[in-house]
Amino acid sequence: MQTVYGIVIDGIAYGMILFIISVGLSVTLGLMRVVNLAHGAFAMVAGYLASYAVQAMGVPYLVALLAVVALTVALALPLERLLYRRIYGSANELAQVLLTIGLTFVVVASVNYIFGPTLKRIPLPEFLTGTVDLGPKEIPAHRAFVIVVGVAALLGLWGLLERTDFGIRLRAAVENPEMAAALGIRTERLYAITFGLGVGLAALGGVLGAELLPLEPYYALRYIVLFLAVVAVGGAGSIFGSAAAALSLGIIDTAGKYLYPSFGEFFFYAAIMIILFRWPHGFFQGKSA
Amino acid sequence: MSPVLRTALFGTAVGLALMAGPALAATIKVGVIAPFSGPFATAGQTFKQAIEVYQAQHGKTVGGDTIEFVFKDLDQANPAQSKALAQELIVKEKVGYLAGFFFTPDALAVAPLIDEAKIPCVIFNAATSAITEKSPLYVRTSFTLWQASVPLADYVHKQGVKKVITAVSDYGPGIDGETAFKTTFEKAGGQVVDTIRMPLKSTDFAPFMQRIKDSGAEAIYAFLPAGPTTLAFAKAFNDTGLKAAGIKFFGPGDITQEPDLPALGDAALGIVTSFHYSQAHDSAMNKAFVAKHKELFGSTQTVTFTSVGAYDGTHLIYKMVEATGGKSDGAKAVDAIKNLSWESPRGPLKLDPASRTVIQTMYIRETVRGADGLINKEIAAIPDQPDYGYKGGK
Amino acid sequence: MTAAVTKAPAGATAAAITAIPPRPSRAFRDAVAVALIAGGGLAAYWIFPEDLGLLTRILATCLYVLSLDLVLGFCGIATLGQAALFGTGAYAAGIAAVHLVADPILLLVVGGVAGGLMALATGALVLRAHGLTLLMLTIAVTQLLQELANKLRWLTGGSDGLSGVEPDPVLGLFRFDMYGRTSYLFALAVLVVGVVVAQRIVRSPFGLACRGVKEDPLRVAALGGSPRGHLVGMYTVSGVFAGVAGALTAVTSGIVGLDSLSFTWSAEALVMLVLGGAGHLYGAVVGTVAFMGVHHVLASTNPFHWMLFIGLFLMAIVLFAPGGITGGVARIAGLVRRRAP
Repeated sequence: MQTVYGIVIDGIAYGMILFIISVGLSVTLGLMRVVNLAHGAFAMVAGYLASYAVQAMGVPYLVALLAVVALTVALALPLERLLYRRIYGSANELAQVLLTIGLTFVVVASVNYIFGPTLKRIPLPEFLTGTVDLGPKEIPAHRAFVIVVGVAALLGLWGLLERTDFGIRLRAAVENPEMAAALGIRTERLYAITFGLGVGLAALGGVLGAELLPLEPYYALRYIVLFLAVVAVGGAGSIFGSAAAALSLGIIDTAGKYLYPSFGEFFFYAAIMIILFRWPHGFFQGKSA
Repeated sequence: MSPVLRTALFGTAVGLALMAGPALAATIKVGVIAPFSGPFATAGQTFKQAIEVYQAQHGKTVGGDTIEFVFKDLDQANPAQSKALAQELIVKEKVGYLAGFFFTPDALAVAPLIDEAKIPCVIFNAATSAITEKSPLYVRTSFTLWQASVPLADYVHKQGVKKVITAVSDYGPGIDGETAFKTTFEKAGGQVVDTIRMPLKSTDFAPFMQRIKDSGAEAIYAFLPAGPTTLAFAKAFNDTGLKAAGIKFFGPGDITQEPDLPALGDAALGIVTSFHYSQAHDSAMNKAFVAKHKELFGSTQTVTFTSVGAYDGTHLIYKMVEATGGKSDGAKAVDAIKNLSWESPRGPLKLDPASRTVIQTMYIRETVRGADGLINKEIAAIPDQPDYGYKGGK
Repeated sequence: MTAAVTKAPAGATAAAITAIPPRPSRAFRDAVAVALIAGGGLAAYWIFPEDLGLLTRILATCLYVLSLDLVLGFCGIATLGQAALFGTGAYAAGIAAVHLVADPILLLVVGGVAGGLMALATGALVLRAHGLTLLMLTIAVTQLLQELANKLRWLTGGSDGLSGVEPDPVLGLFRFDMYGRTSYLFALAVLVVGVVVAQRIVRSPFGLACRGVKEDPLRVAALGGSPRGHLVGMYTVSGVFAGVAGALTAVTSGIVGLDSLSFTWSAEALVMLVLGGAGHLYGAVVGTVAFMGVHHVLASTNPFHWMLFIGLFLMAIVLFAPGGITGGVARIAGLVRRRAP
């Protein structure tokens, strides 16, 4: 029993990291129809910036977290203007894949040049080291923090999309971009803001997840498949779909590794195949935000 | 011209050029294949630096021949690419020796090539026992997992530990380590309660930690290739409270290699490893080695086991060039150094004529806080350890 | 996930159409292309006698990228799982070479059959999906196969790679040597045959029907055709090509590694194809030669320079030359032709 509890808790923590990073991708894919393979690159850049801020400049962890998310968004918005805006829309799928892979390569090369090839850490503050007692199992404080932030992000996004004017416009634009534009919604600005939101979530996940997805220059390429998997399983544009997908894949992966360690990612990908056969458009049909 | 004829003529011409080349030329090239980019770039860097240290201490010529090193980057375990690089080094660069090799698959892949070209291959790191069985032209100056794990298993047993769990990366060296430890430990009367093989790509180690916790073992034997994954594993061990629960941590020294120690921080404290080299080894030769390194590169943070592997490998290449008078004769070169004994920064070494792996002292070390940062402090020395895994130690 | 990425890439289609100017007859141009590949290949043999190892890998990769062009360029199937087919062929040929047969041509047949069967089996399953779902499914298939190859260590050598692939001399006459001369000429012959066969297939009624499915699946269905049947059919053909390419790599290099079943290898094929220009076979050859040639030069100094370069290059292609290298050349040629009456 304790073991099951442990697996579930570990799986949820892992899943939450996947969720925070992937939901940004899901939102941009759902709204702008952009297969953004550079999504992981934004998470990685944020991680490196945070590592530099905390280690070299001595910025407190939480301050660095917020500052880095803002900084990454600021760095990415010009890219939206210069690059992404040209490839919006479902007709450009191949162009999107290539442009964003190209961008990822450039980021990988630059990060390697600036920060070097070795693994980087983001030292955790005192209150996030050690363990927290959660009933039958003690879990690392950092993981507990990740779970809390993940739940907050989920609720925050839900509130933003369901309860605000912005959310209504956004969902309108997701459902029918032409109609939304005809109704006077400024889709261009909406796109920029949504792109920023996606990048911000990637950045948040990149910093928080550095303990589970270690920072090295190939990060951007290594984990993008994971993020895409979550989006595909959850359904593009669906927040709850992403959450459900990330948590179930996180738990499946953790359980698989616990029960049959040497089978590695076998269960993860087998689960993806089975789910996609059953629900080819993801858990939540990929329409609702 | 018919292709047959052309091929034949061409072959003869190149063949002649290759045979004649090293004998006449005053430069003997050594091709080094290692990771110089990517997550394991530090390993390639230590190879290169150690070679430069050796050349700074001993000159770049042997009996009038200049030794020149040619470096090729292979960022990850990729046997096909390794073979292609080796082929290019042999055919195009006309190297007389191959060296380097951080990963086992990369070293194994070149066996048919060195046999065909008849050139020796000096392995600076790759630690699976089976490699040197594949060709008589392999020589190894690093260590094998068997070599490190057999004395460690005895040591752990003598500490009164009865139940151990093993956790290794699921590839050649990991399986070697697991087998060596399990066999020795059980022979000594201990019990290995579970064996975990973790995929090489793992980044989240929490599920494995849970399994270790549930196994009821008093201690863990762990092996992962030195680098990022090792770091994550050691940290997970700490963060999930296994260390606090009193589970002892043993393993080959990869896990606490010197370049990783600053990043590991306090998580490394108390880990007991068995290995052939610690930067903190107390000998005049090691002090000279480390000092020269500091003089050349300004820092000693990266000096570690891969450094001495390359340093001693370079020594053997010099000896082989000396023995063959610069001529290309792989079999004679390797014959000349079988049984060679010499003093290395790590201690006394002797090449085992059968396994062509060095016989060396294994040190049991504990990671402690030294004057400037963490060090691997030697607490016991077990001399004359051969490669127990050669031809079936299993 | 519906409308997001379901449509075939219109940009590539447009480029494919513009890239085929209606000037000389098809058969004539096809023959010229084959002659150029064969002639260029032989010239390279004389010019770079010390780089035959690399050149052989380039030729085998050309065939692999060509196999992707058959599905992506002619059927509009966006896949990131081509390595699954390549790796299946490579491992099948490698295992056969170690245990059963040693004739290199027979080994290519083994690889082709294995690749084709894998494509048929997985294609029938995954080609129901579109867009991101299809991408994910093809990735998942590749990852599962890689995991399997890693686990079956006794058969595949696991992460150590499958070594001991030592084929007999080609036709009993030409031994595979260290300098790669036989390997190179053998690979060149296979590639030329492959290109000719691929030309035949895409110009055949079946090939044209596949193009029809790509342009407008509904119409094909309305006319009584089976869009999915065609897709699975072409995917299987592509699997044969990829399998032969894998077997060719195994035979000429003597080793098969887990990387031949990796996601990266699939992605690289895609990059090379689009670099060259999808949808007209030759783009695959041009893109592969350009990509691997530049890679060899740049990566030997510093692999990250290479990544920076290829990254910028890819972005430039998308923004300024959507038809890839061949598309760009065709456009320039078109401009020149229009200028000179």
